[in-house]
Formats: sequence, structure tokens, C-alpha cells
Amino acid sequence: MTLPILPTTVIGSYSMPSWLEHAKNDFLQRRVSRHDLDEMYDSARKAAIKDQETAGIDIVTDGELQRDNMIDYFAERIPGVQIDHSSKRFYYDYYESTVRSKLASGSLGLAGEVKFLRRYTDHPIKVAISGPHTLVKRIQNLHYPSEEAFALDLARVMNLELKELARLGATYLQIDEPYYSGFPEDLPWAIRAVNTMVEGVDAKLVLHVCYGNRYGKPSWEGTYRYLFPTILDAKVHLISLEFARRGDEDLQLFNEFKVPFAVGLGVVDVKTTEVESATLVADRIRRALKVLPADRLVITPDCGCVHLPRDVAFEKLCAMVEGTRQVRKELG
Amino acid sequence: MIFHVNHRTAADVTSYVMGTLPGVIDHVGLDPQAAAGLHVDLDWLPYRSNFRDPVIARRAIDAQGHPLAHGEIAIDLAQVDQARFEAQVTEALRSLRAGSTNQDPAYVRLDQEFKPLRESVIWQFNRLFWQRLNEWQSASGRGSEAVPGETSDANNPQSIEDNVADFWTLLRDLDARGQLPAEIFALEIGVGTGERAAAWLDRFKELDEQCGGLYYSRLRFLLGDYSPATLEAALAAVHRHAPIVAVLSLDALNPFKTLSFLRFKILYIHLTNVYDNLPFDEMVRRGEGLYLVEVRPYLDAAAVQRLTTEHARDAEQLTDTMKRLLEGGPEAVHQDRAKGVAFWRCLWHALRLEERLRAVDPAESDHLPSGLSRSYLEDLLAGAPADARFQLSRGAAESFANTVPLLHPRGFLQVQDVFVTAMDAYRQEFSGPGKVDGSIVSSVNGALLRAVASRAGFDVHFAPFRYRAGSRTSVLYTTPRD
Repeated sequence: MTLPILPTTVIGSYSMPSWLEHAKNDFLQRRVSRHDLDEMYDSARKAAIKDQETAGIDIVTDGELQRDNMIDYFAERIPGVQIDHSSKRFYYDYYESTVRSKLASGSLGLAGEVKFLRRYTDHPIKVAISGPHTLVKRIQNLHYPSEEAFALDLARVMNLELKELARLGATYLQIDEPYYSGFPEDLPWAIRAVNTMVEGVDAKLVLHVCYGNRYGKPSWEGTYRYLFPTILDAKVHLISLEFARRGDEDLQLFNEFKVPFAVGLGVVDVKTTEVESATLVADRIRRALKVLPADRLVITPDCGCVHLPRDVAFEKLCAMVEGTRQVRKELG
Repeated sequence: MIFHVNHRTAADVTSYVMGTLPGVIDHVGLDPQAAAGLHVDLDWLPYRSNFRDPVIARRAIDAQGHPLAHGEIAIDLAQVDQARFEAQVTEALRSLRAGSTNQDPAYVRLDQEFKPLRESVIWQFNRLFWQRLNEWQSASGRGSEAVPGETSDANNPQSIEDNVADFWTLLRDLDARGQLPAEIFALEIGVGTGERAAAWLDRFKELDEQCGGLYYSRLRFLLGDYSPATLEAALAAVHRHAPIVAVLSLDALNPFKTLSFLRFKILYIHLTNVYDNLPFDEMVRRGEGLYLVEVRPYLDAAAVQRLTTEHARDAEQLTDTMKRLLEGGPEAVHQDRAKGVAFWRCLWHALRLEERLRAVDPAESDHLPSGLSRSYLEDLLAGAPADARFQLSRGAAESFANTVPLLHPRGFLQVQDVFVTAMDAYRQEFSGPGKVDGSIVSSVNGALLRAVASRAGFDVHFAPFRYRAGSRTSVLYTTPRD
């Protein structure tokens, strides 16, 4: 499937149904079996894929509905991270997780996500993975001499996984790093960790940096100026940023700095249930086109849609697609 | 008979009541089975003015409205008068047996239907009070301080100074990280006399001047209240800071509706004695059963006598007169407004609530505040005693949920009020409604707010108000939940 100019994609997660939230909590209380929960996940993920296709999204994900949050799903899979499974009752909370020795090399078991997507859609697919900087901020480190050392070793382990996902046919692999915005001083080593993670990976590589979406609210505020110029060293094809909620003043940074990658343009605010009009989306894209050429823009929501009600999430994606189509027409 | 002693004081009155009741039950001739299962609540109401007669009966109905065998009497030990007590208990027991609450024809019901507390007419009285605060206070000769002549907890100078210091620390930290917004928004909801806001701003300005003028000029201080009269008075109180102050008419239940343009932008939000004045329900757990308390307003014979003689009102038409008062204010019931206010005050002081318990269907969710699922209530109940009466602080929960989206990621909400922070505490004291002046006062279910907050991405903490010995107030503050 050839992508059009201004391709559209989601960041990763799709609306979490309340029935699935209940099931996740019941699983933690041992009232739902692993088998039943997995069946529910499959149904929800198929529905998420279908919604994206129906809305007209070009690059789709599985909606990440099998993930409790952006930390635990990976912490449970990283060989050598110890999890206290009694440490949460609400699925969205974080487990207490600790690393006490050097991480082993081993599979994170994400291949199933690619296979699932490949089975249920013929669209280009994307799998998002929480980045090493974000993970080291949440996993207690009792072994490595520094966060940087921990992140670089984590990146080494995750690099093997990314290569496997690319081999299985993941078109896009995205690294999510919301914690950059809270700890801008870490950026030099955090970018080194990303580069370790993506080295030799044969896929379109995306780095998503936002201001957080925990409980549907930002964790930090500020401007993206802190990313520059360090971010220019990131060996990725696309950097995906939020502009809808925060406004697009930071687009001027791309006038100021010559960037070697394309930009994922957040045009839909995922922290409000108010649905943007296609006209507003189109206007946001046109404003970006004054700074960046169309062949270097990918159209996205600001962040994952996990906290939005399903109908709102779907309508927002439809508006995003329709707004993008309007601009495509203008571009001929 | 099952006694529930819901207080930790008044041992002598408690002994008297527990010693007297068996004889009265014998005298009334209550069926032995009913007597054995009779639930007796012994409360100590902390509010001198409240909605309870000394002894009341509560019947129970199922979710469809059919009578259940469960019956209760509740005694306010603070009002027990030994000369009248036996007669009052006898009347309550007889009404239980007869299948109604009060039978005395001299009672006047101001509504024929039982309703959940949140829908009761008392909230219309409460609204009228805040809308016509000046008129009430002119008549009472009292201001808004909790204790005349003393400083209320809200205006405690040391508390305000510490509060400003905490906020200042936050600003310095954000500034050091280059994350301080150009405009620094702070919001006070429920402004009272404006005295607290004025003292807070004075202290902030003083600190700013000591530090070379860093932040005061960037501060945008918003005063929000639904009472125009209150806002006007508050604005006058903060006139020294007029250039940086704005007043907003807003509903404490939904500040976001008015201030949505400040989503994620406000660094400090403060409320004092607002949550206790927002609609709530009460629920009762009796073993495996869960009940919603329904109420019906009435006036007793003495009150009816006073209103008809002193205010020249027809007893038959008191309900209509009350409706006119609540819709049109004092002038709607008397051409002489002062007389209208006097009638209003007399009616409010006399107002009582009958109670009954409606069983809650396990599948029902009408009684739950929006945003709160049954699983949260189940979690709350898991930590609650088997027999307890507790508040479902709907208004407080709604207000909280509609306020926190205004907070900057590093901002915090502070609420000064009387909180019940653990469900178990509901067995230790009466937490239901009382009256202060013309308004409703009550405790707030802090445990419920903790559950609501966690869903909204916040942890809430409760710190006792340490600036006045014996204060019942505590301070809720939020931290972002990671």
C-alpha cells in the first residue's frame, strides 16, 4: 500500500473501553482468567484496527489495549526486571519494579503484536515502544551506577527486539519518550540511548516526544526549545510532537534549525472531548506547511487516544483524516 | 435491640437512654421480634441548629418502594430532655409500628414526597442564603466569621503566611527550571468576605518586594463565587490589589465550565468551607444491605404555632408560602422585606427532616455521582464498618473533578473543610447536615474524594489544621499521581 502525501497515523493507543478496564481490574483481583482477558484483548484490538481503517487512517496500530500503561507492559517483559505483582489493584497504576542485576539479552515478546496487525490489516503498521529514558525513570535501579548506564543497557536489549519486529514486517517502529519534557537535562544521554536502540534496525523509525498524557493530563509544561539542538543527533526518520493543545509557536524551531528528519504534526488534542472540525485540522496543517514541506509531514493526534471515549476518539480521527484530505486536494 | 453508639462523649446521657429504652419498648408493646431487631442510633449532633428532632423513627422500603421489616429509631443525645424523652420515644415507636413516621396532625409536611437528600428543599434554602447573604446578615447582625469576634480558620494569619511560602517555593522551583509561565494564575473559589484573599495577596506582595519584585506583577488572582453580593464584598476587601485581581461568577460544582480557557494553567486553587455546602446524599449500610437516606421536610406543632401567630400565616398554606419565598425571596412573601426576612429565618430554624431508608438495588447506579463507578463504592465499602451511615459527597466529588483539569501540571489544589478521611470514622461521630446561619453545614467524605482523585490522576492528602487547638478543620491538598 503506497502512502499518500501527508500520511495519517495515530500515536499508538486507542480508546480504552470501560468494560475492558473492569476486566483488567478483575484480573488483578483474580476474578477473570488470563485466557478470558486475552480473548477480550483480541476483540478490543480488532475493533480498534477496524475503527482506524474506517476513519481512513493510513498507518494503523493495534490500539495497545492489552497494555496497562506505558511502563508495566515493558517492565514485565524486560529480562531481569523484578515486578511486585501485589503492588497494584487498579490496572492503570504502576507496579513496583526493580532491576537488581545486569539485564539479560532476551526477547520482550512483542512479535505477537506485529503478527496480530499483519493478520488483521493490510495497511502499513506501527508498533510503539516506551523508550529507555522513560523506563529508567519508573523502574527502580539497584544495580547500574547511573540512569545513563541503565538506559544504555536497556537500549541494547531493546535493540534486539526492534530488529526482530522489523524482520517480521513492522513498517514503522516508534519510541515514546514523554519524560524528556520533565527532565530536559538528561537529553544528551537519552538521545544516545535512542541511537543505541535503533542501530541497524530496518524500519521507519519514529521518536514521539510529548508533555505526558497520564490520566489524560499533561505532566509538564514548557516549550520544545529544550530539544534543540541535541535532538538533531537522533538517528530517526520522524519526530512526532504535540501542537494541537499547546499551539504551534514551536513550529518556528524548524525555521531556526535544519532538521534531518520528518515531523509528526499533532493536530488533534487528546486531552479534551471536544471534537475538532476538519476545517480546524486543515488550518493547522496549512500553518505547518509554511514551515515544513508536505513530504516531510505526517499527520497525527497529539498523543494516544486511550483516555478518550470511543465515539469521541473515532470522531476526532475522522476529522483529522477529513482535514488532511482537504489540504491534500489543495496540494494537488 | 441493636444499639449503635456513634460518638465518644456523653456517657451519662448514653447510660440514661440505654437504661430507659427497654421499659418504653415494653410499655409500647412492640412485637418481641421487632424489638429484638430494632436498630437504635445514639448520635451526638455537633450543630446546635440542625434538622433533627430529639427522637426520630426511620422505616425502610425496598428499591420498588414496598415496606421492609427493618426499622430504626435515632436519638440525638445532645437534645435529650429527660422530662420528655419517654414520650418522644413512645411516639417514635408507635409511628414505626403504624407504618408512618409522624402522625401528629399538628405537623405540617412541606413536601409530600420523600426525596434523596441532594434533592431536598434544604438546598434551595441554602442557595437563597448565599444569594441574599446581606439581608440575612443585616437581620442577624452577624458577619461570616464562624465565631463572632474571632478569626475563622480560613483567615488564620499564620496559615496564610505558610500557604504563601509554599506557593513561593513552587514558583522558585519552576523558575529555576525555566518552566514558570509568563502569567501566574491563582484561583480562590468561594471567597467569603474576601479577607483571606486580601491577607494572602498582602503577604505575597510583601514577600515579592523582599525578593526584588519577581512575581507579583505576573500574578493573576481570580476570585470565583456564585453569589454576586459575596463577590462585591470580596472585591472591596482586595482593592489594594485591584490591578491583578479579577472576579468571576462561577458555580463551584463546575468551575471548568467558566474557566475552560485556563485548562492546565492555574498553579494554585484554594477553597474554604465550600465542599461542605454542596449537595450530598447519605447512605446507610446495615449488614449486607445498603440504603439511600430519603428525607421529607416538615414543621412541628410549636413551629407551626409560631409561624401562624408571629407571622400571620395560614398553616394550610405554609407550603405555598415557602415555595414563594424560595422562588422570589423575602419580598415575595411580605411587602415589608424585613418581615419577609424574619419569616424566612423563622421557617429555616424550624425546618426538620423526616427520614426513611430506600434499599439500593445492586445494579442501580442513580445514586452514584457522575464519574464514580460501582467498583469504587465497593472499594469504599470494603473499608467501612458493617453498620455505618456515611455521606456520598456528590457535590464535592463533582466540584473536585471539574476543578482539577484547570491545574497546571505542577499546580495544586487546597481545600480547607471538615473531612471524614476514613470510612471507619463514620462510626465515631455524627457527620450529617446541620445549620450555620441560613446555610447547610456538614462533613465531607474524604475517603470518597480520595477515590475520585485517583481516577483523575491525583493523590489527595489530609493535614489537620494545626493553627488552632481543637479545630475540626483539615486541609486537603493534591499531588499529581504518577
